[in-house]
Amino acid sequence: MLFFSYFKELVGKEVTVELKNDLAIRGILHSVDQYLNIKLENTRVVDQDKYPHMLSVRNCFIRGSVVRYVQLPPDGVDIDILHDATRREARGGG
Amino acid sequence: MATEEESTVREPLDLIRLSLDERIYVKLRSDRELRGKLHAYDQHLNMILGDVEEVITTVEIDDETYEEIVRTTRRTVPFLFVRGDGVILVSPPLRTA
Amino acid sequence: MSGGSGGGGAVKTPADFLKSIRGRPVVVKLNSGVDYRGILACLDGYMNIAMEQTEEYVNGQLKNKYGDAFIRGNNVLYISTSKRTLAEGA
Repeated sequence: MLFFSYFKELVGKEVTVELKNDLAIRGILHSVDQYLNIKLENTRVVDQDKYPHMLSVRNCFIRGSVVRYVQLPPDGVDIDILHDATRREARGGG
Repeated sequence: MATEEESTVREPLDLIRLSLDERIYVKLRSDRELRGKLHAYDQHLNMILGDVEEVITTVEIDDETYEEIVRTTRRTVPFLFVRGDGVILVSPPLRTA
Repeated sequence: MSGGSGGGGAVKTPADFLKSIRGRPVVVKLNSGVDYRGILACLDGYMNIAMEQTEEYVNGQLKNKYGDAFIRGNNVLYISTSKRTLAEGA
């Protein structure tokens, strides 16, 4: 639940989602669900030369399981809140 | 604040819990390694790391000599969410021998 | 019928085995073929493992050492007790 809650707070901000097949997509976080499936808007593929067939993709749904990383905006990370939420999660769901 | 109970390792995830706000080493699938400060994690080993250095190791075979050429590429990312299913190993680097 | 004493006697079930090897030197082999040798600190139902004085062997060659290491259980192929005696000073 921790990261579901965290990503919900990040809706509207720009993130870069890196997939396990090395494709990296930058876009505005539109929504997220409990599986950490992600919807992006105003997307652009980071390496357009390598993936020209993705040029016209403006929105996408990404299945959570294919995500390797999400690069987060620095202003979207409150470290103290994350620490507290993590400690609460460790006590509850351990 | 830190009682005896909070500072002992009784289950494996305690090792991660005690690394919160510390720089850790993470070994991932597909020959990737991360070093960064652990800001958040859950029981799946999903994590948020800060000041992250990623090292990717690739091995190429020289066309003529068939020798293995090991290459590492590095980059830094300010804040990174890491999906837990790619994690192989986590270690607090300061205590790494 | 007898409960899992797990100490040093006859090990009956996998769970008894896992209980009995805490604090022992072990070899953990991952699906990738990589071996980790060290002292097993503890483990959980997912086979997540905490180890101490861990050495990483790739193709039989020592590649890395970790003071503490957490291994995510889904990568584990097997856990084996090892007779290797570690250097003193644990």
